[in-house]
Amino acid sequence: MSRILTFNIFRYNPQDPGTPPRMDRFMLDETDRMTLFIALNRIREEQDPSLMFDFCCRAGICGACGMVINGRPGLACHTKTKDLPETITLMPLPAFKLVGDLSVDTGTWFREMYQKVESWVHTSKEFDPTALEERMDNGLAEEIYELERCIECGCCVAACGTALIRPDFLGAVGLNRIARFILDPRDERTDTEYFEIVGNDQGIFGCMGLLGCEDVCPKGLPLQDQLGMLRRKMAFTALKGLVGKHKHKH
Amino acid sequence: MSLSLATQARPVGRSSAWLDWLQMLTGACLILFMWSHMILVSSVIFGAGAMNALAEFFESTGMAQVGGPLIGLVFLFHFVLAARKVPFRSEQQTVMAAHARRLRHTDTWLWVVQAATAMVILIMGAIHMWVVLTDLPITAAKSAARIQGGWWMIFYLVLLPMVELHVGIGYYRIGVKWGFIRRDNRKNAKKFENILTVFFIVIGLITLIRFLTLTV
Amino acid sequence: MQTIYSDLLCIGAGLAGERVAIEAASAGFDAVCLSIVPARRSHSSAAQGGMQAALGNCAMGEGDCPDVHFADTVKGSDWGCDQEVARLFVDTAPIVMRELAAWGVPWNRVVPGESRYFKGGKEFTKVEKAEKEGLITARAFGGTAKWRTCYTSDGTGHTVLYTMDNRAAQLGVVVHDRVEAISLIHDGTRCMGAVVRCLKTGDLRVYIAKATLIASGGFGRIYRESTNAVINDGGGHVIALDTGVVPLGNMEAVQFHPTGIVPTDILVTEGCRGDGGTLLDVNENRFMPEYEPEKAELASRDVVSRWMTVHMQKGFGVKSPYGDHLWLDIRHLGIDHIRTKLREVDEICKSFLGIDPAYQLIPVRPTQHYSMGGVRTNKDGAAYGLAGLFSAGESACWDMHGFNRLGGNSLAETVVAGNIIGKKVVDYLRGCEAIFNSKVVDEAAARQAARITALRDRTNGSESAYAVREAMFDAIMKGAGIFRNEKDLSECVETLQALHERAGRVGLKSNGLGPNPEMTLALKIQGMVKLALCVAYGALKRTESRGSHTREDFPERNDRDWLNRTLATWPEGASLPELSYEPATKVFEIPPGDRGYGGGKIISA
Ligand SMILES: Cc1cc2nc3c(=O)[nH]c(=O)nc-3n(C[C@H](O)[C@H](O)[C@H](O)COP(=O)(O)OP(=O)(O)OC[C@H]3O[C@@H](n4cnc5c(N)ncnc54)[C@H](O)[C@@H]3O)c2cc1C
Ligand code: HEM
Ligand code: HEM
Ligand code: SF4
Ligand code: F3S
Ligand code: FES
Repeated sequence: MSRILTFNIFRYNPQDPGTPPRMDRFMLDETDRMTLFIALNRIREEQDPSLMFDFCCRAGICGACGMVINGRPGLACHTKTKDLPETITLMPLPAFKLVGDLSVDTGTWFREMYQKVESWVHTSKEFDPTALEERMDNGLAEEIYELERCIECGCCVAACGTALIRPDFLGAVGLNRIARFILDPRDERTDTEYFEIVGNDQGIFGCMGLLGCEDVCPKGLPLQDQLGMLRRKMAFTALKGLVGKHKHKH
Repeated sequence: MSLSLATQARPVGRSSAWLDWLQMLTGACLILFMWSHMILVSSVIFGAGAMNALAEFFESTGMAQVGGPLIGLVFLFHFVLAARKVPFRSEQQTVMAAHARRLRHTDTWLWVVQAATAMVILIMGAIHMWVVLTDLPITAAKSAARIQGGWWMIFYLVLLPMVELHVGIGYYRIGVKWGFIRRDNRKNAKKFENILTVFFIVIGLITLIRFLTLTV
Repeated sequence: MQTIYSDLLCIGAGLAGERVAIEAASAGFDAVCLSIVPARRSHSSAAQGGMQAALGNCAMGEGDCPDVHFADTVKGSDWGCDQEVARLFVDTAPIVMRELAAWGVPWNRVVPGESRYFKGGKEFTKVEKAEKEGLITARAFGGTAKWRTCYTSDGTGHTVLYTMDNRAAQLGVVVHDRVEAISLIHDGTRCMGAVVRCLKTGDLRVYIAKATLIASGGFGRIYRESTNAVINDGGGHVIALDTGVVPLGNMEAVQFHPTGIVPTDILVTEGCRGDGGTLLDVNENRFMPEYEPEKAELASRDVVSRWMTVHMQKGFGVKSPYGDHLWLDIRHLGIDHIRTKLREVDEICKSFLGIDPAYQLIPVRPTQHYSMGGVRTNKDGAAYGLAGLFSAGESACWDMHGFNRLGGNSLAETVVAGNIIGKKVVDYLRGCEAIFNSKVVDEAAARQAARITALRDRTNGSESAYAVREAMFDAIMKGAGIFRNEKDLSECVETLQALHERAGRVGLKSNGLGPNPEMTLALKIQGMVKLALCVAYGALKRTESRGSHTREDFPERNDRDWLNRTLATWPEGASLPELSYEPATKVFEIPPGDRGYGGGKIISA
């Protein structure tokens, strides 16, 4: 029953300019319940100690191991080899700067994103350590959590044609981040202020509705619905012109 | 000095939002037009009389003379707007095509089809409109004559599926982008879009065959 | 060489590191955080359960207060903790929880009215009060008298870390990710920063700072089977130990969790057993009642882990390519229960094992989970031995956990400690002159550059770093696993000493250019063996059983001789750590007594 798997893996070390980019082939016997995490580590330990790839939590919660698995961006740690054909092609995520082999620099991309969307609660209130916490409806807390579940793996960016041809596009992940703050009553930004950030072609109006993001997100975030909501909201904010100064919360 | 710079930088450009509105609205207009256009042209299925009557109605109310060029304008305007989204550098086109192939993802393919059909429509649609609008009034006889000429038949056999694909996908895309099509009804919406596209192509084909066999 | 100056250098951008940096940045100091991975991938994000704070908002937490939390924590630690620190912690936790709420954490909130909950597989009802509506709610956790664990669904660590990183970005805290500190810079009395290897290019950099904080998380990855992230291999502990003057505290106190899945060692929650799940062996026999007739699977974490190990040693384990394991059976709980109440377990089984727990058995074994030990600090978070060096979070031995930490207390510790120690760091920075000795800095950098060259050129040998690591895994699990005894520990120490030497002869197989991963491991493998030796040697010398440290040959908790904390330092050139001891706590609010669970004899002071 046990298969011999063939891995075609993209190789390039920018720090070793003598060796050009190439595809390397590795063979590995498949074991029970094998995941790409196990397979790649075995390849590194048994066959090529210089192979670069990223894992951290290896439990599908940190987002470190995004890569292109047989053409589709996904998390390597929760991909079981038994769900893949005998030949497995692994490529680094496009849209991010290559560190080496399967490893890409998502950190820099995401930090730029936080700065652009100002990914924090904007409030004029000072924290008072002696006061009770402000109350919040549990249903609303859960809705916010639903959007906050993103693990910044970058798969949605790598799966988005727009992001590939427009490096300054915020991507579904950045737009979803704004949607999360719009939902949060603690963030006092107005619709006009959100508009300043995403009411342009780098933001929501750059999105062409390709839905690659929606279809690859390993956490199943409701990206499609958030993008639709955001486009309507921002388009109407533009219509209202400068009148709509106040943020409407539910 | 620095103050004026700061205040200049302040107001946010709303142009992206306006252009997006217009892109959607011109697209929607063109969809509505294509549906009406279909009713006009396909009425020939019920005979030359039906088509002539409709054409005459448009003619006598002045809708053909004014509406025709107007549609031409919308058509051009839509092209200019939508073209912002089409990668014109061949490098980017390659990226997009390679991406769609690698991802094996229908919705990305749909966009590629939409962009590709758009280019065909731009050229063929313009020629078609020029020919029809410079030879008013519209009559079933003139149309049948053109199509029985042979070349126009081939012309329409190409243009028809291009237009219907573009319209079908455009319809779905407006739904997705503006959030009318949601995660929970996306599957059904897509099915509806496919049926719609096939339906219009079939009607169009029947129409063309009818023109071919029409004796006036 | 690139040199970066700052007021505060945090080695670690998890919850603890960023919380301290935020405190410094709020006071107007420059703070730089280093991290092996982008900050938000730090292992803090993996904590699902929640964090403890005595808010007392929910019905089952009524009457809770810091005093009750304090008692739970001290008992949990088996009286090994520093009670002054535990007191600071419990008093500050509620404030910190509210501060996090203000910064944006979407805590789950109290929903008034009647609702149901499970305990021991049975259903009960509770009624939440209307006046508490919308306040932060809490859930139950092991070893606590009240429901005290605040949470956001099954992603508490994730939301708290994301909020913390948002706050850090807002205040201009600089995070340099994909870098690894490989040595501290010090002159034997004062710490001046660190030598750091960039994991994008492989280049060395020097970070110079008035204050340096180690917040590098746990060192679980010196064990083969650990629930920790793969980056938690003790790099921060190693650089502290390498100074020769900074002691690590209580390294022998290592917590094991009974149910890590096989392979990949991902944690499945205690809730499985809490709701009535059972443990089966190779013959699908339920074995826990043989060992613990009364509590069976519901005995405490350490106890269950111990019996599972015994049973596998007797040959009742299930063989697999990944080593022996046992089965967790939750099939009888029913598909409805599994899909709703144990959703997270259901998902883990499906995505990582490809099995459906409603119909199939889950492969599990006891798995290293938490390190109570770490860089020993005083209650201000200042490390012993070097001025200007601080530590916080799991990497520190601050020491509120003693020999066993309670679930939900470590996530809370990171933020509370960050808050308290952050203020102390600010005090330190205010009174601090920048004195940097460039000779010391250059020497430290040159030493690391030389190590890298030697590994690449195989100057010292061509031993494989991976092989040494495998051997270390085998040795430590045999000697310093769940059960410990004189014979196994002595053997383990001996094997590790030989490995320590072997690790000195490591050389690379690959070319080592750029961010080469073999180089990354080779640079720290000897340090990891040293940590393993601190654990094993400390365990060998501690002739009692306390908390997670279980000696078969000394089953009693011995308050007469061992109510103390082990301190391990590593003198240059030594082959074993030097151990010394200090009293567990200077102040007793609660004198040593019975924990009320776990059984076991006590030799009183
Ligand atoms: C599976 C699991 C579940 C858990 N669940 C809970 C729970 O429900 N409740 C609870 O209270 N606790 C829980 N814990 C424990 C808790 O999550 C951790 O103790 C805590 O998050 C540690 O935080 P930290 O900030 O100290 O370290 P971490 O979050 O681990 O951060 C360490 C940081 O240091 C960096 N670093 C490490 N070494 C170096 C180096 N050499 N150079 C530069 N940077 C370095 C890393 O990149 C990282 O940024 C759980 C632990 C695990 C493993
Ligand atoms: C009868 C003619 C046409 C009809 C009915 C039509 C219809 C539509 C519709 C409904 C959309 C969706 C609009 C949106 O997403 O906002 C669309 C998009 C598009 N159209 Fe057309 N169109 C026509 C002609 C053209 C022509 C001539 C071009 C030439 C370039 C073109 C190029 C595009 C492109 C590129 C898009 C995609 C834009 C995007 O995804 O953002 N279309 N069209
Ligand atoms: C105002 C402008 C238009 C007028 C008055 C018009 C009129 C007509 C007429 C009279 C026909 C019958 C065939 C003929 O006479 O050659 C026809 C067919 C057709 N037209 Fe147009 N048209 C217009 C615009 C367009 C546009 C913009 C498109 C798409 C880009 C289009 C696509 C077609 C197609 C595909 C057919 C073949 C019909 C079929 O198979 O059903 N037309 N049109
Ligand atoms: S939205 Fe989904 S795919 Fe995108 S970064 Fe977040 S988790 Fe990854
Ligand atoms: S794939 Fe890209 S174009 Fe929009 S719908 Fe998703 S962001
Ligand atoms: S390693 Fe963390 S998500 Fe895969």
